Amino acid sequence: MNLDFIWLAVGEAISPTTAAYALATIGLVIHFGFTGLLNFGQAGFMAVGGYAFAITSLKLGWPMPFALLATIVASAVFALILGIPTLRLRADYLSIVTIAAAEIIRLSVKTAELTAITGGATGLNGAARNFNELNPIPEGRYGFGVLTYSADQVWVRLVGWALVLLACLIVFLLIRSPWGRVVRGIREDEDAVRSLGKNVFSYKMQSLILGGILGGLAGALFILPRSLQPDNYGTQLTFFLYTIMLLGGATTVFGPIIGSMLFWLVLSLSDGLLSLGVQSNILPITSTQQGPIRFIIVGVALALLVVFRPQGLLGKKKEVFFSA
Amino acid sequence: MTAHPIAPRLARRAAPAIVGVLLALFVALLAWATPANAAPASRAGTADAIDPATATESIAVWIRQTSDKAGIPDVSVTVTGDDFEQTVTTDPEGRVTVGLPGPGTYSVEVDASTVPESAGAIPAASNPREIDVSATNTNVPANFLASTTGGGAAAPAPSSSGGTSGSSEAPGGTAGDGTGAAIPQANTGGTGFWGVVASKLVTGIIFGLLLALAAIGASLIYGVTGLNNFAHGELVTFGGLMAYTLTGFGMPGWVAILGALLLGGLFGLVQDTLIWRPLRRRRVALVPLMIVSIGLALATRYLFVFFYGADRLTLPNNPKPFLVLGPVSLRFTDVVGVVIAVIVLLAVAYVMLRTKLGKAARAVSDNPALASASGINVDGVIRSVWIGAAALAGLSGVLIAYYQSLRWDTGSAILLLIFAAVTLGGLGSAFGALVGSLVLSIFMNLSTLVLPENLKYAAALVVLILILLFRPQGILGRRERVG
Repeated sequence: MNLDFIWLAVGEAISPTTAAYALATIGLVIHFGFTGLLNFGQAGFMAVGGYAFAITSLKLGWPMPFALLATIVASAVFALILGIPTLRLRADYLSIVTIAAAEIIRLSVKTAELTAITGGATGLNGAARNFNELNPIPEGRYGFGVLTYSADQVWVRLVGWALVLLACLIVFLLIRSPWGRVVRGIREDEDAVRSLGKNVFSYKMQSLILGGILGGLAGALFILPRSLQPDNYGTQLTFFLYTIMLLGGATTVFGPIIGSMLFWLVLSLSDGLLSLGVQSNILPITSTQQGPIRFIIVGVALALLVVFRPQGLLGKKKEVFFSA
Repeated sequence: MTAHPIAPRLARRAAPAIVGVLLALFVALLAWATPANAAPASRAGTADAIDPATATESIAVWIRQTSDKAGIPDVSVTVTGDDFEQTVTTDPEGRVTVGLPGPGTYSVEVDASTVPESAGAIPAASNPREIDVSATNTNVPANFLASTTGGGAAAPAPSSSGGTSGSSEAPGGTAGDGTGAAIPQANTGGTGFWGVVASKLVTGIIFGLLLALAAIGASLIYGVTGLNNFAHGELVTFGGLMAYTLTGFGMPGWVAILGALLLGGLFGLVQDTLIWRPLRRRRVALVPLMIVSIGLALATRYLFVFFYGADRLTLPNNPKPFLVLGPVSLRFTDVVGVVIAVIVLLAVAYVMLRTKLGKAARAVSDNPALASASGINVDGVIRSVWIGAAALAGLSGVLIAYYQSLRWDTGSAILLLIFAAVTLGGLGSAFGALVGSLVLSIFMNLSTLVLPENLKYAAALVVLILILLFRPQGILGRRERVG
């Protein structure tokens, strides 16, 4: 019996994809967990960030720092465009506008007419080149067993998780600042905060921009180990992020890290176990039927979590504003 | 939920108007009808030579004679693209569909030596031909006409993936967009701008009616529970899949359609009993309910993949045109779909306006506490709404499966269209949902006159956002609701 999949699952938990999901979820925690904005378009922010990063570094040949700056500016601008008209809307309206905006982004970048810029439906490949040129780690193989990585793979993991920890630190400090208190006040009772003379709209906008920038950076991080595919940014990416957020705790700073690692560990383990069962003919399903099972697990987990443990693994029950 | 006193009155006033418009439209359709003769058949997704059903991009080749539009069988066609070359032969109808490895420009060449002399020759000017295939465009048409008059009759330009040329010979009209949201089937028989407009208008009206069946249910659920049901698309897919299963057992089409309606209603009852009712008892708030519906949507959608696979499924259907109205020709199932949709929509209107249940449902959406105090069984009304909404969605699913195509994500691909239609018409208003669906669908199909085909879905979503920003109460919604 080949038990490598257990190690592969552990490797999945520290992969750059897991880091990117964690980073995007931190952004979502700022929006939903701390400000109460029901943003269903985080996938759109990731797409904007990913495309900004890929286009500036591939098509325009900008060096890494400028491409990163472009990523931040593009996601901030997207947040502004989305926020100015919508932040006055009710929560459920906001959710529909954001989900629609994310889909508009995805459908627009994949049209054939934009192929010269966005690569159309095939997307863009090789955005990581500039990033890997900055790699200070000497060539070689690092790690042990099936978890052996090339220098570039180690580099992207180091940078990815450093970025996640940095984002956590920023959020940790912000939430304890006066700004954080106002934002959490908006989450609990918008009118009360308004009556104290605070500009609720402006605070919401700042929150949307901040979380959106984290989403955009996550989009850039997400494409470093892979090519950019427009269909990766469908609505279900956002729903995965919601699952991760609710798993770790929607109102916690470090929940997204735990949530993302656990999410990918469980998916990877279940995939491995299923493959094992299918190959040894224990499970009466075909290998093509194995693919959908992980999504069924996610869907059921999402529904059960929000009803039975809305505070997630790390959160406090009394801070769960949304099930009040 | 807050009260909206104007909505029912508006609905009452608007309903006869809408019903009248629908009736007039339907009568006009019948009056203009002429029996179909030897007009070209219209059909997407014909028998596969190399299983293009699984390919996300495909080219539909159709080779016919100019004189009587008869298909030429056993003609060898070679499709070449980057790192791809495939030679296929046409079926008895002169068609063949080629699955492609990806989007790009492909060259389609008919082997002239395999065209029988009696059929004539294909003009060299149109053979070989370059076909642009955008991502996820299936059945991009590549049509060839052979004529004995020696190149006098040039084959019409192929409808490109942009789909705006509206070639008169395009099987299945224009190619579907990336989401599979709408694959127009109305065949444009006439040439010229107005022919294309008429064809798109008819496609828009038909799809709008089918969309309305789903949207009305979503709107009613929103009305009585306040929930934006993200799993509504799966109710639609469920109906299509049930019909597919029934026809797979050899049942005739009408059994499949009835079965989709009934089993859809049963699905709604089961969902309400197992999930929504217990959650109501727990007094779970709206945001978690919305997230539950998202989780349910994901789980159900991939259960469909688990049982039915990820490929496109086809319901048995007769591709022959049944009704030809000027530039537009419709298949038998298209016409039946419209008739069923109109009858059911009238029935819904009757139930909502003239029965106790409809009155109770409207009372619950106005003010559940007051409704409960006046002796209405709120929980029972909500259960009935779930059953009715799911049955309507199931019916919409089977009709959309007949009209366009069926896949595990047929419903979820139109979920945002359903939301857009509901919002456009005014959240919680059944008649608004009908008007919203029609307006949205017609707008979407007409937008392809100026926009690339695969952006029409995005165009519909832009309308959704604009409506939410500037008139959040929708067309028929009450004015005092501010988003």
